Amino acid sequence: MAKILVIADIKQGVLKGSTAELLSKAKSIGAETAVVAIGCNIDSLIPGMVNAGSDTPYIADDPGLELFSAGPYASCVVDAARQFGANLIWFGFSESGKAVAPRVAAQLNAACATEITDVMISGDQIEVIRPAIANKVMQRVKVNTEILVAVVRAGAFEATEGITGTQNVVKLSPPAPDLKAVIKKLLSDASGEIDLADADIVVSVGRGAKDQAGVDLVKELANDLKAGFGSSRAMVDGGFMAHNKQVGQTGKIVAPTLYVAIGISGAIQHLAGMNGSKVILAVNKDPEAPIFNVADYGIVGDLFEVVPILREEIKKIRR
Amino acid sequence: MKILTTVKKVVDVELNIHLKDGAIVEDGLQYVINAWDENAVEAAVLIKENRNAETTLVSIGGGDNTDIIRKCYAMGIDSGIHIDDPALDKADSTIFAKILQKVFEKGAYDLVITGKQAQDTDSGQTGIILAEYLGLPCVSNVIAIEVMDDQHIKVSRLGDAGTEIVELELPAVVTVSDSINVPRLPQMRGLMMAKKKAINVMDLAALGTSRDEVGGATPKSEIVEFIASKTRKAGQKYEGNAAEITARVVDLLANEAKVL
Repeated sequence: MAKILVIADIKQGVLKGSTAELLSKAKSIGAETAVVAIGCNIDSLIPGMVNAGSDTPYIADDPGLELFSAGPYASCVVDAARQFGANLIWFGFSESGKAVAPRVAAQLNAACATEITDVMISGDQIEVIRPAIANKVMQRVKVNTEILVAVVRAGAFEATEGITGTQNVVKLSPPAPDLKAVIKKLLSDASGEIDLADADIVVSVGRGAKDQAGVDLVKELANDLKAGFGSSRAMVDGGFMAHNKQVGQTGKIVAPTLYVAIGISGAIQHLAGMNGSKVILAVNKDPEAPIFNVADYGIVGDLFEVVPILREEIKKIRR
Repeated sequence: MKILTTVKKVVDVELNIHLKDGAIVEDGLQYVINAWDENAVEAAVLIKENRNAETTLVSIGGGDNTDIIRKCYAMGIDSGIHIDDPALDKADSTIFAKILQKVFEKGAYDLVITGKQAQDTDSGQTGIILAEYLGLPCVSNVIAIEVMDDQHIKVSRLGDAGTEIVELELPAVVTVSDSINVPRLPQMRGLMMAKKKAINVMDLAALGTSRDEVGGATPKSEIVEFIASKTRKAGQKYEGNAAEITARVVDLLANEAKVL
């Protein structure tokens, strides 16, 4: 039987939805499941992990793990994987997952696959599906090792209700700190903002917004919708949006229920970050903009005219 | 300071990719430098310009990589190694990392800078696995590098909770994001000079290793086939009076798509 270890996706002390998604998938293929949670003062997350379907929560809770450091985090995952006897080790889609997964794979002499969208297990043989070349093609990849370490693409698996695990907590000993790569400080993202990775609705702004006034206008729409506020590359390069707001092949990959692209032409690199969204709305004044090729609903028009109307209309139906 | 950057030749993602019988149709493809590797080259050249550094690039596979290596020379890289060997046909990230380990051990480098991922695979593993094999500190997704002294660098990393400031002891490996810099365009003079510069082309034997040693015969994973991506269909596009079409689309989002 497959034994799947899921790495808990914890951000600012909160257990993220991807943890339940990965556990649901693991349960649906009949696997024995465990979660490893790494951080500081995270005991309160244990019931959440059990409710999400973990049979054995491994907990590495130590002040030295408060700030992310790939080396010690990888040590915790390797420790849990060995104790559990995992043959599949799954990370949710996050920057820490992408940083730790290859380390774990190297230490366990295992194959590593990033951004997987599906997994097929037949006896001892594991295969995965993953996108390549900016999402233009998918690869079917055969795993030749006993263990596979994988980072699961955002939105690939769905959480199912009503599954639970068993509360059988194993405490891990704290790992040695990485003395050669010392995290000095964390410049936190503005608190209170909605996390792009979790948001049900994402509103993104592109070059069409021109300047700060345009960006602010689109941000009002995002606020109205309680949406995550993202950006195309152009507005990040222009200095109007922070790096961590960039949606695309190189930035955040999102798969919300509704993605609203405002003034974004739809370069292939941007599409690679959002074309897994359930519904896409695009507003662009160029009727030939490539974004309309992927949008379910398109409004051809000047965003400075359309966005205020959009806000009014949305207020009407939400009233 | 000796800096090693990695440069991969990748398929141009702007062009259409066609599949036949589970494989990519080669006809009509064009190849370019992996965009993130250009950022790595720029980062290395900037360090060289700000203090004394010797910059070397290594490129693995790809057949004739003369053009991309010359482009990096024109950007300011001092010397280039190209490792090409028929045994590398099925190389995965771990095999690339094994080869880079050999290159590193021969050159006694202080700093390795790689792009955070390659545009063709989007895997983002090679630099990190290389650091594991070498037992060196590593930070990925780096958006700024500051050289503190001959033994230390300070980097900024875009993490999940914000920007992480990390001090690394050299030798070290960093993988860079495209947010770190804007790669310079090579000038004509540089391109002319680059033509005169040698490229050190070698196979695995010349590197002092073999297909078996780098694991070339037993890749940890291999691509069985390529499958077409699910393409989204273009939906309904509305033109005309902004007030009318916007009201209609909001109604559809609420009552048809049921996402508002």
